[in-house]
Amino acid sequence: MNTSSLSIALVSLFAALIAVLGLIPKIDLPLGVPITMQTLGVMLAGCLLGPKRALQALALFLAAVAIGLPLLSGGRGGIGMFFAPTSGYLIGWPVGALVVGWIMHTLPSATPRTAAISAFIASVIGGLLVVHVFGVIGLVNIANLPWEKAIMGTLVFVPGDLIKCALCATVVHTIARGLPDWRFGG
Amino acid sequence: MGSLYSDHPTWLHGLPAGLKLLVLALLGTGVFATQDLTVLFTCTGACVLTFASLGRATKPTQPLLIGLLITSVLIGLFHLYMQQPWLGVVSVLRLLCTTLMGLALTLTTRYTDLLAVLEWLLSPLRFFGAHPERLSLQVALMLRFTEHFFVVWRRLDDAHRLRTGKTGGFKILAPLTIHMLVAARRVADTLHVRFQR
Repeated sequence: MNTSSLSIALVSLFAALIAVLGLIPKIDLPLGVPITMQTLGVMLAGCLLGPKRALQALALFLAAVAIGLPLLSGGRGGIGMFFAPTSGYLIGWPVGALVVGWIMHTLPSATPRTAAISAFIASVIGGLLVVHVFGVIGLVNIANLPWEKAIMGTLVFVPGDLIKCALCATVVHTIARGLPDWRFGG
Repeated sequence: MGSLYSDHPTWLHGLPAGLKLLVLALLGTGVFATQDLTVLFTCTGACVLTFASLGRATKPTQPLLIGLLITSVLIGLFHLYMQQPWLGVVSVLRLLCTTLMGLALTLTTRYTDLLAVLEWLLSPLRFFGAHPERLSLQVALMLRFTEHFFVVWRRLDDAHRLRTGKTGGFKILAPLTIHMLVAARRVADTLHVRFQR
């Protein structure tokens, strides 16, 4: 199969998956913290596509949001989203996906079990840590929050994101069994 | 999938997309470069007036405006609580300014026009082996597959509900992803046959 065609298809389809995850209603944790599934898409893109294609998929998704398509959860879209206090998280998505992809590419994924463990580690570092670092930087710069308050604010979402990391690992495990020839991490 | 673009004609519809993006970029940079309240109040006033001048075209953005107002109030109250009211005013003015102009741009510019500007902006990347012209194809594919996969998701959810009596939730994410990866391979084959690349 031609890699250029495969890249176009995979990049577009993962951008579509992230959009679809935004259409699914958010889930509220007992503490009232909402879990939207789009950050799960960021983790999955990194794990399944590898760093370069994951970065492209997220860049394509954000370009579509910037040109006004209501693809973010809750039907939000438009370039104004990149000036909101939470825009740091959005900007962190492509970088997070790149880091997830790179770590997934580096770690072993020969068996479903090792692939799932690698996916969990990659998601925690790239999909959680990197995205939250960008999110905190956004909160500090746009909402002018002090660093400690911004960090405290973002910590509330960590339990939900850890659940997403576990979900990502479960999905990777299932895919490793269902599509044994799939190359995780690109 | 519909965009937030409004068909209701306004004076801003007539301006070129590139010019509107340039104004937004300059405004966005300008308001974050200054902390002068006079400048910020003037810019915000101009942005509010510009947005209000769009009249009925702003109707689709009402839920977003409510979200913007709530966020602004929360930021203001937080800074008041931290005894930094001046910083709160600066943050809220910047937020209102940039978000209102972003919404105005989105409401009055077709996404195909913005896409054309984006491709033009990315065109220097050709020297590095990138293909900016693929952006339109990829956005079109993405939109087509967003609808397709949402239908697949609903189908899998219905099947799961029939089997178990409960909604699928996260449990159908893995089968959906497998469906998607298999579809990606088929689409790649089709693209290869169609474009020979």
